[in-house]
Amino acid sequence: MFNIILTLAVIVLFYSVVLLFARIVEKIREHKGKELNYYKLSKTNATLFTLFGVLFLGGFAYCFKRLAYASLPEAASNFGVQIDNLFFVTAVITGVVFLLCHFALFGFVWMYRSSKNRKATFFAHSGSLEIIWTSVPALAMTVLVVMGLNTWYQVFPNKKVRNANEMQVEVTGKQFNWIVRYPGKDGKFGRRVISKKFVSPENELGIDWSDPASHDDFFASEIHMVKNNPIYFNLHALDVLHSFYLPHFRLKMDCVPGVPTGIGFTPTKTNDETREELKSNPFWSANDPETGEPRFNKFSYELACAELCGKSHYGMQMNVKVESKDEFTKWMLAQKPHYETIKDKLAK
Amino acid sequence: MEHTVNSHNMHDHHHEETFLTKYIFSQDHKMIAKQFLFTGMFWSIVGALLSVIFRLQLGWPNETFPFLETLLGKWAEGGKITNEFYYSLVTMHGTILVFFVLTAGLSGTFANLLIPYQIGARDMASPFMNMLSYWFFFLSGLLMLSSLFIQTGAASGGWTMYPPLNGMRNTAVNLGSGLGTDLWFFSMALFIVSSLLGGLNYVATILNMRTKGMGMWKLPLPIWALMFTAILGILAFPPLLSAALLLEFDRIFDTSFYLSDIILGGNLQDYKGGSPILYQHLFWFLGHPEVYIIILPAMGIVSEVLSVNSRKPVFGYRAMVYALGVIVLLGFLVWAHHMYMTGMNPFIGSIFVIFTLMIAVPSAVKVFNWLTTIWKGNLRLTPAMMFSLGFVSLFISGGLTGIFLGNSAIDIPLHDTYFVVAHFHVVMGVAAFFAMFAGVYHWFPKMFGRFLNDTLGYIHFYGTIISAYAIFVPMHFMLSLPRRYYTYSNFQTFNIFEDVSKFISVFAIISFLLQILFVVNIIYSALKGRKMTEDNINPWQANSLEWTTPAEHLHGNWPGDIPEVHRWPYDYSTGYGDQDFRPQHLPLEEGEEAH
Repeated sequence: MFNIILTLAVIVLFYSVVLLFARIVEKIREHKGKELNYYKLSKTNATLFTLFGVLFLGGFAYCFKRLAYASLPEAASNFGVQIDNLFFVTAVITGVVFLLCHFALFGFVWMYRSSKNRKATFFAHSGSLEIIWTSVPALAMTVLVVMGLNTWYQVFPNKKVRNANEMQVEVTGKQFNWIVRYPGKDGKFGRRVISKKFVSPENELGIDWSDPASHDDFFASEIHMVKNNPIYFNLHALDVLHSFYLPHFRLKMDCVPGVPTGIGFTPTKTNDETREELKSNPFWSANDPETGEPRFNKFSYELACAELCGKSHYGMQMNVKVESKDEFTKWMLAQKPHYETIKDKLAK
Repeated sequence: MEHTVNSHNMHDHHHEETFLTKYIFSQDHKMIAKQFLFTGMFWSIVGALLSVIFRLQLGWPNETFPFLETLLGKWAEGGKITNEFYYSLVTMHGTILVFFVLTAGLSGTFANLLIPYQIGARDMASPFMNMLSYWFFFLSGLLMLSSLFIQTGAASGGWTMYPPLNGMRNTAVNLGSGLGTDLWFFSMALFIVSSLLGGLNYVATILNMRTKGMGMWKLPLPIWALMFTAILGILAFPPLLSAALLLEFDRIFDTSFYLSDIILGGNLQDYKGGSPILYQHLFWFLGHPEVYIIILPAMGIVSEVLSVNSRKPVFGYRAMVYALGVIVLLGFLVWAHHMYMTGMNPFIGSIFVIFTLMIAVPSAVKVFNWLTTIWKGNLRLTPAMMFSLGFVSLFISGGLTGIFLGNSAIDIPLHDTYFVVAHFHVVMGVAAFFAMFAGVYHWFPKMFGRFLNDTLGYIHFYGTIISAYAIFVPMHFMLSLPRRYYTYSNFQTFNIFEDVSKFISVFAIISFLLQILFVVNIIYSALKGRKMTEDNINPWQANSLEWTTPAEHLHGNWPGDIPEVHRWPYDYSTGYGDQDFRPQHLPLEEGEEAH
């Protein structure tokens, strides 16, 4: 309690000092000239504003340098690489505009700050100027729209052509974890029926266990994918909205109760490859204070939830692994179909 | 004082006002503007304080702050806010800032102050509706405020209130989804009533009550902007009201407008056939125009302040008006860009990409026109001018990041990350605040008959723009980080931003303390500031009509006839006359061209 009072007292004192200072400055200004003019202040302010401009653009550049390593490693999927390219092109175009506009802004304030002798130029409009700066942005936007939609339709084609060797995975979001179902050897998911007959606390997904396709389905505690093998995620949600977010692959799709969604792509880098890459990253090569080992040792791709889904929204983490075909097959064979664990119970 | 009675003048100037009719249930636009200003200030302090509390959690997730327990009790046991309270904080922060501060606070203050003054009217078309508009806003605020103090806490499902999270009265799914969410929607219903009463009144006043000679093309830009804002509000708020009603039906009567196939704890619920996506369409049909409801008045204020203090006409006046109109039109056609990742048809998504990126064109025109307005001017760098320049910088920075997000393909990774948070805070949060500050510094003498303290104004400006950019520039680099996370400790990938988060939190606190300084300045200056004397009623040497009214407020604004208007409001440095400004009521000289 004492601390709070002390802090408040310090804050009040601080404001009083600032107020007093401001009051004195105003009094001096009033004393100096009856007509308060902004000529003198304009010079000070133009200088300060220009300094702020240097600080701002310099700070921006510093952030670039300092935080570039904190951005994610290179995209680990085919679409991710494309999206990153699009991001880069947009960054270049907007970066040029950003710099030019700010140079103009800070430059004009410095050059045209008020002084006694300056006269403003009456310049109310100019048809040609306005046509230029309507059409140039329009052109730039057209380029970006065309590039953007090109990528967009590759990620979400209007008519999806099923790739024969595309792997199918089903991911269902619930408060607060992910249920990941693989179709097993037959490549087919067991049928799901959303009705009170099938859905129960033991069978949240409402799987019809009399469907033979369900007999080799297995649930996984982490997502496994095969490098360079296309994969399609069938997304669902049980209770509220969730969003299936794979930051390293630059992909995301909402999971909506009652409305199936999905997203497909091809992973292009294994966990080991990305781990190698992170060895040159200052954050990842530093030692983890808990284990005392370099952080990259424990690296894994991760799945996160990107749509607010309740009090533990931030806890919906799952590890994601991209590996070779052999490793994947080995892992898959080690998984036990869920039907095996419940069939005795079902028989009763 | 003798009054010439004028045909428009239906008010009795000698009518005795009681305290109640003058300060509380006032029907005078100037008093209602002040009421909106102070209520908006109250809400911005509350909203900002909430953000300071959750910034403590985000900046120092592993530390405890015992004073939080003293303040908040069970919501911060052991000096660390609970995750449920964290989500209430972010939800209420968003709601308060978007609706109560940047919609009602900004439009309410300046529409009420400027519309009658600048068009040359004695008051609003319906002063009574105007009063109702404020009191509905006040009531709606009371309801929202009360929800912070109830057992299950305020709404906690995000300011967008998406179902199913907020669609069931089930506190096990979401603690804030009990009474808190009901209060949120009832408060919003009252808010919409307030907004409609205000908006209809603004449009009616602007269209019908302009003084003689005040053609539409002679209106100052703030009036154009406020009119477009009111039209947006009138058209966009009703769908939110229906969305809210349907959601309350789902919540109270267990209907299924937005719900289907919900499985809680392995038990299938009885909802069948609804779609949560429908709510998102209805919400964003308001929600996107809402950001223009916030930014258009800001643009209008900035255009005016820049022109007055550059001693130059605003460049491309008509282009500015057309740009506002195009933004209004396109503003209604882009709502689904908030929903690219909901699994909607990719073709529909692509249509929204085109419209969204089209908005960049009128926005760019506005920026270039502002820059040309200050080019070759004679810039008086008053505090209002500094904030307007700050607005231009923020609008450039924040507008450009919108080009990333509007492109659906780039939105795939960026959706719901801190890049989005940084984008909208810069472009419609801080920028709109800067315009509001500019407006307050510029029109404070008109509102209170006294000047704000300039020195405090400059400290406020430099402090705020530095801390705002210190918060949001690094935040753009957290572009992989999902938003609305209580802590990032569960993820290796996201832990990398610990230091940056701390840095941002420090500047959030600094920026909050600076805003208190602004409040101190307002209260101090309203009582004790330098007086605007009757022989200096036009301190900024501006052209628009509000500066022809006496410093002392009087009911009906002008003691005699309302001045007649002969020219547009931007005749600065025309070369005619011995001063560099030509007020609107000054008749044209021979050879002088009308614009």
